Amino acid sequence: MRSLSVILASVLLALAGLALAPDTLPGPYADEARTILSTAIAGMALLLFIALIAERPKAMAPVQTTPEPVQLPVTEPPESNADADVVNLLSIFQEKGRLVDFLMDDIAGYSDAQVGAAGRVLHEGCRAALLEHFGIRPIREEGEGSKVTVPPLYAPDDYRLVGRISGEPPFTGTLVHHGWRAEWVKLPRLVTTSADRLPAIAPAEVEVR
Amino acid sequence: MNYRFSLGIDLGTSNSAIAISDIDSERTEIIELTQALGPNRTGEQPTLPSAVYIPHPDEFPAGAFPLPWRTGERGEPIIGHFAREHGALVPDRLITSAKSWLSNPHIDPRQHVLPWKSEIREAKLSAFDCSRMCLEHIRESVRHAMRGKGEDFDLADAQIVLTVPASFDEVARNLTAEAAEAAGLGKVVLLEEPLAAFYAWTAQAGKDWRAQVRPGDIVLVCDIGGGTADFTLIAISEKEGVLELDRISVGDHILLGGDNMDLALAYALRAGLEAEGKSISDMQFLALIHSAGKAKEAMLEDETIAEFPIAVPSRGSSLFGGTVSTKLDRKVLEQIVLDGFFPRTGFEELPQKTRRAGLQEFGLPFASDPVISKHLARFLMRSLENVESSEALRSLVAAEARSKPFLAPTAVLFNGGVFKAAPIRRRVLDLLTGWSDGQAVRELAGYQPDLAVAKGASFYGRNRVTGKGLRIKAGASRSYYIGLETSMPAVPGIRPPLKALCVVPQGMEEGSEVFIEGRELALITGQPADFRFFSSEVRSGDAPGQILPDAERELLEISLLEVDLAAVEDIPAGQPVPVQIHAVVTELGTLELWMKHTKSDRRWKVEFQVRTE
Repeated sequence: MRSLSVILASVLLALAGLALAPDTLPGPYADEARTILSTAIAGMALLLFIALIAERPKAMAPVQTTPEPVQLPVTEPPESNADADVVNLLSIFQEKGRLVDFLMDDIAGYSDAQVGAAGRVLHEGCRAALLEHFGIRPIREEGEGSKVTVPPLYAPDDYRLVGRISGEPPFTGTLVHHGWRAEWVKLPRLVTTSADRLPAIAPAEVEVR
Repeated sequence: MNYRFSLGIDLGTSNSAIAISDIDSERTEIIELTQALGPNRTGEQPTLPSAVYIPHPDEFPAGAFPLPWRTGERGEPIIGHFAREHGALVPDRLITSAKSWLSNPHIDPRQHVLPWKSEIREAKLSAFDCSRMCLEHIRESVRHAMRGKGEDFDLADAQIVLTVPASFDEVARNLTAEAAEAAGLGKVVLLEEPLAAFYAWTAQAGKDWRAQVRPGDIVLVCDIGGGTADFTLIAISEKEGVLELDRISVGDHILLGGDNMDLALAYALRAGLEAEGKSISDMQFLALIHSAGKAKEAMLEDETIAEFPIAVPSRGSSLFGGTVSTKLDRKVLEQIVLDGFFPRTGFEELPQKTRRAGLQEFGLPFASDPVISKHLARFLMRSLENVESSEALRSLVAAEARSKPFLAPTAVLFNGGVFKAAPIRRRVLDLLTGWSDGQAVRELAGYQPDLAVAKGASFYGRNRVTGKGLRIKAGASRSYYIGLETSMPAVPGIRPPLKALCVVPQGMEEGSEVFIEGRELALITGQPADFRFFSSEVRSGDAPGQILPDAERELLEISLLEVDLAAVEDIPAGQPVPVQIHAVVTELGTLELWMKHTKSDRRWKVEFQVRTE
């Protein structure tokens, strides 16, 4: 579940990056871009939904790079549940880059300039969060469009072959997307979550006078 | 003692960082510090913001901020990342820059007055408490991290080096050392931050560093962080074929840094927004300061960016409707940061003196003149004054460097976040070159400023343990004096000047002591006695026992000394006891003053009190 949310978060962000595009496009393309944007947003919302209701896993992928402490003076908090972990991740992207605000706002009534300005907030914050918590890098360092050889016995999640696949490996072809992989994950630990409710994504904020 | 590790602690004004060196393998690494990142959320970060937040007892539920070493009671102060972020929105409950309060001459660092001018009902903290708490947090976090690595680690195995600003006087240094002891770190070694940066550079540049300096060089360590500017000069000389390094001058504590620049940019941006008829709330202004800082960094790093877009979201949930956007123009940036803080002023232009209003509000003594160029000019002028006042220092500095009205550096080591920007480094080099009539001033190359002070402190600790490697000769950064009443016939309206007796000479080395001969004082048993305590950073020539005619005119008053002679058996109460002053600079770099009975071995310790008017 954790690794799934990692991938989803990356996809979400990559898509969210698109939100910046329309603001910089010249007039004639704006409408087209707007369609792409709406599709992207819809896609994101869908992915987010899937992320949240996806299967409840039993075992967690060993993503933590630093080993857990051997002994502690205070007893370790009970292992938090996986759903709470996903909400925790979501709340980081909300806090730093307002991801949930961005997706939950009704985009239709705003100009591209306004969406663009919001996109900058989203991009700056989510990017910072992404780089802080994930060691993210391309799977292939070559430029997209260049010829690459797919190593034999590759991990199935590292490559997707499309087009005409025939003959003996190693396969060669044109790199369409360089892929992304998280080399490490360093998420804040969620402590003392009660079993019967999920943590808030963002607290309601009240200014007391 | 057999140390296995050397632990360097950079207890910063805004952020603290820790580096650990293995004595045998010589490997140095940064220890990430565990801290609260939000309610119910903890994690590790390379630095611990030196921010303490005092929550309302009902603001967060009990146990909302647990750390691996404590459960976190309701209302317990929170330290670190979340404290800083959340505290920015609740300023009444946030303590920052506690370190600068330690060296504030007007407020007792042990008085519970922080957050300053806040009206909260919860118990306030003293500057000393804040430093102690940050150090306790660091201690536990280090232990936690080392156990996590599977290291069999005990604090007693580590030589601990704690860095302090070069501008700290002995009172602030002693308080820092005491806070470390109260935090369970034991007796720590103190090291001046600019020297730690220099040690880091020598380690990073490897053997190459010796090729970059030559005898006769005067290296300016120019350290400007978020909130403070700290200057130091190191003279390079040669003795029997070996390079020798002497720290010859330190500057004042100047509360001026990168945060001032971000704030200035944010004001300019806000004025621009208001001119367009857009207004932003106080909370949005905080976000604007943050974004202005980011924009500044990006534009100073990549000089091809002509303007940088800035978007400030509203606090509400509508991101599309509430975001205000503007942009930072390169012209504005250069006007404010380069020409505002680092203008090409002449060396004779000094910072404006603080305006002395009749009723001045005490708080942190922020620099009243934001022009860093002028503060630098003042420092170099005072450095020359200091060097000229003693034969020993004059012999270390080539005549050429002393030929101007200021001491001319030949090389610069830049430290601190502000100098990540190449245009600012270039401007400072330009400025110095201009002052030296075109004589080029170079930058020491190969320095990686990230967390360098902590790393340098751990390198220094390793050198101390092994007895090998470089040592910069430093000793006391200032000379110290106690005030003596002048005996003269009383005249109405004329206050006799206070004479000053030098008790600690500048450069007095760690692990040395001095008895002030021929100046006996008489103390009365059973009553506390007070002395006024003074310092100077420009009188390197004064010897212990020397008398200056007018303390108040020539020296800076820093503290009140108090000695309490409890009644002792063989001396009747009320009888004057002849004493002589005994000053000790410990191996660890702290100053101790004693009053020693001239006729026996009995002695009394003198305590530093803060002068409050």
